[in-house]
Amino acid sequence: MTMDKSVVSASLLCKIYQINDINIEALKDVNLKVEKGEFIGISGPSGAGKTTLLNIIGGIDRPTSGKIIVFGHDLSVEDEDFLADFRCNNVGFVFQSYNLVSTLSVSENIAFPMEWARKPEDYIENRVEELLRIVGLEHRADHFSFQLSGGEQQRVAFARALANDPPLLLVDEPTGNLDVKTGLKIVQILRKLKDDGKTIIVATHDERITRLADQKLYLEDGKLVSLDE
Amino acid sequence: MSETSFPVNDLLRRKLQTGLTVASLTLCVALTVFLLLFGENIGFEISQVAEGKLTSGFSIIFSQFITFIGLLIVVTGAVIVSFMVFVMMSQRVKDIGLMRATGCPNDLIFGYFMTELLIVTFVSCFLGVVFGILADYASISLFSFTGFQILQKPVNFWLILLIFVLFFVLAVIFGVKPILDVTKVEPAKAISPTYHYGLSKEPGFRVISKSSFTVKIALRSLFRRKSATIRIILCLATVFTLVTVAIAGGIIADQTTKSWVEKAIGRDMILIAHKNMSDQYKLLLSKFHGAKEDLQFNYTEQEYLVPESLLNQLKTISSIDVDARLVVEGHVREVPGEIIDSETATIISVGDDREGESLIVGVEPEKVLSEWFVEGEPLKESETLEAVVGESLAQKMFSKPLNQYLMVFDRIFNVTGVCMDPINNGNVTYVPLDVLQNVTGILKPNIVMVRVDSVNRAEVLEQIRTTVDGVDSEFRVFELNEALEENVGFLGYVWSTLMFLPLFSLIAASLCLIGYVVLAIAEQSRELGVLRALGIKPKTVTKTVSEQSFIVLLSSFVAGVPIGIILTLLILVPEPVVTSHTILEIAGWLLVALVVMFVSSLYPAVKFARKPILEIMNKP
Repeated sequence: MTMDKSVVSASLLCKIYQINDINIEALKDVNLKVEKGEFIGISGPSGAGKTTLLNIIGGIDRPTSGKIIVFGHDLSVEDEDFLADFRCNNVGFVFQSYNLVSTLSVSENIAFPMEWARKPEDYIENRVEELLRIVGLEHRADHFSFQLSGGEQQRVAFARALANDPPLLLVDEPTGNLDVKTGLKIVQILRKLKDDGKTIIVATHDERITRLADQKLYLEDGKLVSLDE
Repeated sequence: MSETSFPVNDLLRRKLQTGLTVASLTLCVALTVFLLLFGENIGFEISQVAEGKLTSGFSIIFSQFITFIGLLIVVTGAVIVSFMVFVMMSQRVKDIGLMRATGCPNDLIFGYFMTELLIVTFVSCFLGVVFGILADYASISLFSFTGFQILQKPVNFWLILLIFVLFFVLAVIFGVKPILDVTKVEPAKAISPTYHYGLSKEPGFRVISKSSFTVKIALRSLFRRKSATIRIILCLATVFTLVTVAIAGGIIADQTTKSWVEKAIGRDMILIAHKNMSDQYKLLLSKFHGAKEDLQFNYTEQEYLVPESLLNQLKTISSIDVDARLVVEGHVREVPGEIIDSETATIISVGDDREGESLIVGVEPEKVLSEWFVEGEPLKESETLEAVVGESLAQKMFSKPLNQYLMVFDRIFNVTGVCMDPINNGNVTYVPLDVLQNVTGILKPNIVMVRVDSVNRAEVLEQIRTTVDGVDSEFRVFELNEALEENVGFLGYVWSTLMFLPLFSLIAASLCLIGYVVLAIAEQSRELGVLRALGIKPKTVTKTVSEQSFIVLLSSFVAGVPIGIILTLLILVPEPVVTSHTILEIAGWLLVALVVMFVSSLYPAVKFARKPILEIMNKP
């Protein structure tokens, strides 16, 4: 473990995907520092590597080279069991395609990370109610995920990501699949989380979200640049 | 895309799934081919008495066993075929929905998947026939290697063709329905998880408690995939029924038939007779496993008769029992009997006047040392005209032996019992010694059976040898254990070879379970990927999937085994020998079957859990 106090510290991060015989460089020498409580907005065209960067920060994927240190842990060298615990306790992930578990109800989807983290039953029940209230889906608690609209699914994904109250929230294109009105609800949730002091990294094209960001970054062809400079 | 290139590519791209389906179907076909060819080769074809080997009673037990197992194998084959096709098609439901949504006509979709079905079925049936024939050759070679010569008959190609056609047609019939069902589903429905997973009921929310966390996840997943779960349980329950009948039926019949042979010949029995007579008697005992006796042998040669002095001296040796017998050959004729017809309450005649040759053995009923398994009554008195016939003779010459008579040496004997006896392959008639001596005029026995009831067996045996040598050096003392072991060993080999059947079934069932696990994982892969992304460890995924398999397996086991036991009791041999050891042995093998199937189902779960999360989540 290093003594770096940054929440996220990435240096010379590279990710190369090999598809058949072709190498695709998703990230090229990416450097990034994120401090506690910061809101980072990463924009860029499709295929620029935004999701790949979030996956590596969240410990879902590993870099081909370079270092990725999150909460003092070098995720590029940790084993899968460590990464699993790390994801469970430190990271809330909101996927672009929601990725709700289709055989679980809304409540069960939200409860699952807490059940897995072995939280007490009473706590889980109360927390599920609280999160449903925050995202405005109390009336959908017992529905299957595929019975919800896209916006509702996205809100369930937020509630699930917040279930264990993780110190770092990674959000991938939260409004990409939503209409303007529904997207606004998501923006409101993000603003509330920012006000609460949560560290958030969002990959987005949505101007309403990037306006909230403390650091505005742009990723193109795997290279990350700051828009603030 | 041509109508054949799509199915071929589709099958090749789903290597594991295609491989499992082909392997399961191949095993079903191979099992049936092996069973019928093997049965034919070792001489107990269904409903036919083996010529020259085994007694009729034993042949019938083997035939019944094989016929029943054969029927179960066909049923199991049909269920496995149905399930594997279901598994195949379940993985294509979403694709079919998408194909239909993009405007692909129904008949083209049906054509694609029908072609896949035909390819898989044809390849499986062909491979099954080849492997079945090879397994048969291997088994016969194994018999030859272990000393039992069984002639390899030429392969019956009509039989092979029949099996091929039967399974091909069966697979197509079972396969077409799910294809039709899927192609009839509306595209939107086919794409929807409601149809895809069979989810129908909105669940109530309950927090999963900390204890047995993965079991509850596994249970929840199984309950919400009812359709697939019920099918796999039915499929595996059928297999467990088959395995139970094969294992329990096989072990019990094995021990019972061995017990019959052992009781008929007698354990630690000693034969005293003229050396030629001894050789002939041993050959008569060995006919059970294929040896040929000397057909020209004259049993009534004066020199073969046991001297009175020898008998007297033997009787003076303490701690031995002496059973003197007269063995001759005779022409026997069936004599009709009368029974009361239960419907008309009138007396009707049963039987005919069939005739043939039989070994006639005169015994002293009160001194006889053998304890045959007898249907009816054993011989009780010395001077009555009663007979107990061997079951081959009963099968061959009598309609209702216990209600009929037998004529030999111009005397009519009342048939009181039918015994299981391997001597002369069951073609034997036991009558009282006195009566036989009177009707043949041969007043001395020609063999003596002796049983030693002493802890100093070797010492007593030596004393017997000395006595025999002292009276007539042409007479020999033989321990019949060797003949007994050969016959029991032969039965053991036959049964143990038949035990390949449950082994084959087990392999087929294991493949079936692997197929289900692959299906379950494929259906849940994205979800399991999401769960891993949320912090579940790979080993927990393995544990959850394994627990799903175990729950399915245990449910099938609990459903299949009792049915198997009931069927076993229905088809079992009369008066089965069931000891605590038998029960333990059966339980042990069934447990092995359960463990083997469970362990084999772990492979896809372990393989899946090792995959990177993104690979799992991005799987189409």
